[in-house]
Amino acid sequence: MDTDQLIHKLAGQTVPVRRLPAPWRRAAIWLAISLPYVAVMTLTHSMSMSVDLTHLLSDRQFVVEELAVLATAIAAVTAAFCSIVPGYDRRVLLLPLLPLGIWLFSLGQSCINDWLRSGAQGLALHADWTCLPPASLIGIVPLLAIVAMLRRGAPLYPRITLALAALAVAALGNLGLRIYHVGDASIVLLVWHFGAVVVLSLIAGWIGRRVLNWKSARLVAFQ
Amino acid sequence: MDPSNDPDQLGLLMRAAQDGDSSAYLRLLKEIAPLLRRAVRQQRKFLQPSDVEDLVQEILLSLHAVRATYDPARPFLPWLLTIARNRVADGSRRQMRRTANEISVAEYPETFSDAETNVLETRYGDPEALRQAIGQLPPGQRQAIEMLKLREMSLKEAASASGMSVAALKVAVHRGMNSLRKALSIEA
Repeated sequence: MDTDQLIHKLAGQTVPVRRLPAPWRRAAIWLAISLPYVAVMTLTHSMSMSVDLTHLLSDRQFVVEELAVLATAIAAVTAAFCSIVPGYDRRVLLLPLLPLGIWLFSLGQSCINDWLRSGAQGLALHADWTCLPPASLIGIVPLLAIVAMLRRGAPLYPRITLALAALAVAALGNLGLRIYHVGDASIVLLVWHFGAVVVLSLIAGWIGRRVLNWKSARLVAFQ
Repeated sequence: MDPSNDPDQLGLLMRAAQDGDSSAYLRLLKEIAPLLRRAVRQQRKFLQPSDVEDLVQEILLSLHAVRATYDPARPFLPWLLTIARNRVADGSRRQMRRTANEISVAEYPETFSDAETNVLETRYGDPEALRQAIGQLPPGQRQAIEMLKLREMSLKEAASASGMSVAALKVAVHRGMNSLRKALSIEA
């Protein structure tokens, strides 16, 4: 088929399409779906573990960390939605680096404080596998929602897009997990919580092309 | 004024196309096809004209698939050229993958000198004969072979692009392959 024929075929099947909302708007929609779910999951677990929220919120370190985690989730999801709209400056993909840096710095600072307070014992690492099921559960709805939303877009940088999406989901999950999983040493938070976020983002980046690609974008469009 | 020289005009046409105006969409696609041809040639100077055309078609299909992502409040050309650059880069990656395992040799080494061992090569190894045989197929079969076998489109995509049903495409490609087999075996 020559190009002119293709152009006539494509024009012949023109139907009105619903314009994609702006990335920040889609990010807000995703947060409106995900935050209540994370809040409900967090409250359910907090009540069963009798967590003192007032005490937690008076801890400055905890508040800074949680704000950085929330900012990371917001920046990552906004960058992910920008990455599937052609024409945006690619520098927008670096948006989550600042809050992510603050989060990492805050965790690092806590580790140093623990070390100064308790010596090598303050940096003793232990694995707590019991937190794995609730940690996985808390990310399910945000993950499904973001993948469904990202498939309606242009898969320009699929690996980066999915890595950013995983970062947003993992950060949001961490926001809740940190509340009901109290009492963890800073080193545990750094290695297990932050480490899991990094590993999840890397895995998502690795499978990015399989989840988001032009073939599936065309299938979605031609459905 | 020529819309291809006026990005705002192209943006307006795209906006109308998003609202379902097929004549605006036709005009837009006709206006941007030469722009895309130029952009592809600039990025891949060594490509044959037919390969340039393949890439232009690939970009047009991609643009059609993601036309909902265009925001009329934003400039049109950066939107279009980002898709073009991305598809050209994908095309390069595909070609590199394809050629990575290919070794250019003047003559294929013969494992056995017996003619029977080389039957497959002599029978199917003539691209010119294949091109001619495809050219002689009825239009429906030719279109089906081109889209499904040469361009490797999915049945759904080919059905959307050609207006034929999936079942009709399957029949056409099956008959086309049979005709090609016959034509090439007679020539051989």
